[in-house]
Amino acid sequence: MSGMASNLAKKRALAAGFGTNANAVKYLNQDFEALRAQCLSRGGLFSDPTFPAAPESLGFNELGPGSYKTRAVQWKRPGELCSSPEFIVGGATRTDICQGALGDCWLLAAIASLTLNEDVMARVVPVGQSFGESYAGIFHFQFWQFGEWVDVVIDDRLPTKDGELLFVHSAEGSEFWSALLEKAYAKVNGCYEALSGGSTTEGFEDFTGGIAENYDLRKPPPNMFQIIKKAIESGALLGCSIDITSAADSEAVTRQKLVKGHAYSLTGAVEVTYRGRKEKLIRIRNPWGQVEWTGAWSDSSSEWNSVDDSERQNVKADDGEFWMSFTEFLRHYSRIEICTLTPDTLTDDSVKHWSVCNYDGSWRKGSTAGGCRNHAYTFWMNPQFVIRLDEEDDDPDDNEVGCSFVVGLIQKNRRRLRKVGEDMHTIGFAIYEVPSQFHGQREVHLDKNYFLTHAQKARSETFVNLREVSTRFKMPPGEYLIVPSTFEPHLNGDFCIRVFSEKQTETRPCDDPVKADLDDETVSDAEVDAGFRGLFTKLAGDDMEISAAELKTIMNKIVSKRTDIKTDGFSLETCRIMVNLMDDSGNGKLGLGEFATLWKKVQKYLGIYKKNDMDNSGTMSTPEMRMALKEAGFTLNNGIYQILVARYAEPDMTIDFDNFVACLMRLDMMFRVFKKIDAHDSGSIELDFHQWLTFTMI
Amino acid sequence: QFVPSDPPPPRRPLAYAEQNENDEERQFRKVFQQLAGDDMEVSPTELMNILNRIIGKRSDLKTDGFSIESCRSMVAVMDSDSTGKLGFHEFKFLWNNIKKWQCIYISNDADRSGLISSQELPAAFKAAGFPLNDQLFQLMVRRYSDEQGNMDFDNFIGCLVRLDAMCRAFKTLDKDNNGTIKVNIQEWLQLTMYS
Repeated sequence: MSGMASNLAKKRALAAGFGTNANAVKYLNQDFEALRAQCLSRGGLFSDPTFPAAPESLGFNELGPGSYKTRAVQWKRPGELCSSPEFIVGGATRTDICQGALGDCWLLAAIASLTLNEDVMARVVPVGQSFGESYAGIFHFQFWQFGEWVDVVIDDRLPTKDGELLFVHSAEGSEFWSALLEKAYAKVNGCYEALSGGSTTEGFEDFTGGIAENYDLRKPPPNMFQIIKKAIESGALLGCSIDITSAADSEAVTRQKLVKGHAYSLTGAVEVTYRGRKEKLIRIRNPWGQVEWTGAWSDSSSEWNSVDDSERQNVKADDGEFWMSFTEFLRHYSRIEICTLTPDTLTDDSVKHWSVCNYDGSWRKGSTAGGCRNHAYTFWMNPQFVIRLDEEDDDPDDNEVGCSFVVGLIQKNRRRLRKVGEDMHTIGFAIYEVPSQFHGQREVHLDKNYFLTHAQKARSETFVNLREVSTRFKMPPGEYLIVPSTFEPHLNGDFCIRVFSEKQTETRPCDDPVKADLDDETVSDAEVDAGFRGLFTKLAGDDMEISAAELKTIMNKIVSKRTDIKTDGFSLETCRIMVNLMDDSGNGKLGLGEFATLWKKVQKYLGIYKKNDMDNSGTMSTPEMRMALKEAGFTLNNGIYQILVARYAEPDMTIDFDNFVACLMRLDMMFRVFKKIDAHDSGSIELDFHQWLTFTMI
Repeated sequence: QFVPSDPPPPRRPLAYAEQNENDEERQFRKVFQQLAGDDMEVSPTELMNILNRIIGKRSDLKTDGFSIESCRSMVAVMDSDSTGKLGFHEFKFLWNNIKKWQCIYISNDADRSGLISSQELPAAFKAAGFPLNDQLFQLMVRRYSDEQGNMDFDNFIGCLVRLDAMCRAFKTLDKDNNGTIKVNIQEWLQLTMYS
């Protein structure tokens, strides 16, 4: 609950605008301005205690403490490496990034693409940083992490060997922004080694908050070149690579000097007139800053001689950048990654803006982790999101009509507890058409019957164990339901789902409202019939009140006689809670009327329990529990189902009778308390500290 | 003024945690790994077994043992991602508090009865950082003490874990520090049902 409270507080902060690029969340609560001011006033340089200049910040295995690769590593500030260090020399350019002794070419390719777009760059690398007057050994960068922007502070001690930077460095020896950016990203990920091996799309997304798509070049869409061109024009970031078939192939260089298993940035696409026909060309950059393609259209190849001067674009420098024909590009390269940017990134009006919607959600075992469509019994329990497509694209180039949109589902690996990869679930999503009677409604969660009788309209390309699954769709206008899920049911996970669309769309979570139909069930002393009064007298003893211990005896007497309901018995604890919830008089015991009211509730709950135990197992499975709660008058949503299961279900995800009663009793009382305080039906209640404890300590 | 303990630190990458801990923490992590099993998370049943194993050895603490219900409740108030289990940091936080409150329990059991009587209770709670008014004391006794007004060890811990969590929850939600919090029905149920 205190965990729950901080989750709620965070949600409120996000709703109030925290976590946007303009109002980034301070990583580890470190405030750049304040820390810099402190350092300046005491005249020292910043040393970051949360990411120390020590072996543990380098890595855990190949770069682990005492490893061969980290021997003789010294941490040095830029001022110790050259006489006049600069943050950025002549603007950030893609040659500022040369790979060091770390397998993070994917990241470097992403950083290189970043430099091609000033707006994007300015968001990741906040302005006003230098080695000039306000220098205090401290720098900061901003990254997008699963739906929010975080501001990451670092000190400028960098790992070096023999006076050279160990990792990323600029071709310009005195320029340090790229090495510092890499350090900040390593901090967010735990250490430098954590950056080893990844996909450029991850880097793309973490620098832009955009959405990345993957294209397999073995079966490219017919308009692949158009997509690339359009993407470059719209300010998207692009990367490409050649797959490897074995680990030994990694970074193997082909005869024509292409590097396998290596991340390149794709920086240009043009059509030139060559020998009277149009030739499609692609410009690519090797983040190493060298090793270039030597085939046709390379730096000084003869093909360029047949191109008119006005169209000539070849680059002769050995800077890692080169051209090749689109046909050969398709033949040699295996995949392209395109990262489309969010509208808030793009300030250029000539660029087409896509709209974006972003929602967080979670799968929880037993409540909202329904698994994929193969699991008809639980699939409907997954979180659901509605998207409304109103307007078709205006696309003169193709004759297909429809609304284009990209859906991205990211799993948040909040617990990077295990080695990379092991923590990833196999995830994907399905898209259904929303039945017309539900159009425009927000508070509906479609149930099992709907999914049993309707086919999906579209789905994610695959279910895959990557951080993100994203797919592009083109569908007629209408309302659609997106159901994200893990492949197997009953897996805990958190996700963030995003919908990017060419035209304005509306996306929102689709869930039932939270409400309860409470009938007035209190029984006054006078209403109790003589038979019950007799029973009560016998049970209550001399004091004519029922204590928690007595209640326990009574409850267990009843349930022990029944073979059709499973329970491990009512514990004293459970009975104490029940007594305290029912105890209007505040004496810690139940009087005749209070007990009669409790009795009536238990009888009612027993009936509902029996009726909804469809498979006669004697327990409630979690889908049965949902039905039972509905019958008891409670309409709840995913968020609540999740916590009820976490709180009341057994490890095998069943709920036995005593837990069932405890759950419904508390739910009933909490709804009543809320309604009582919210006398005017305003929808929210205000509590002071004393009231808060009075209700929550039970 | 109440002094709830500081909230548990955010979950960090394992590599980070492993590298930045001292010997005592490393020792504790080893014990945790044994307790929590492969999934590295402590379930209510695991928590109950651990607690009962430890108090079983103490003769100066009276208790009828931690029930599964009170362990579920303790896990719920500590759990930050509603998985129904505690991660390493959450468990460590709970553990340190229990150790601290156990000392308070023993030093405030003036008559060495092994129980905290209603006379001993105010001083014990005050020592734990929670000076309550009469009304709240009555509430605690009604909910957590036996019919004679004595609180045994499991109830004492259950009560303090909850009280501490509720104070922190209130503080977290009372962003502007005006002494009140505002919640809607969804938030109200999330807070009160998961506890």
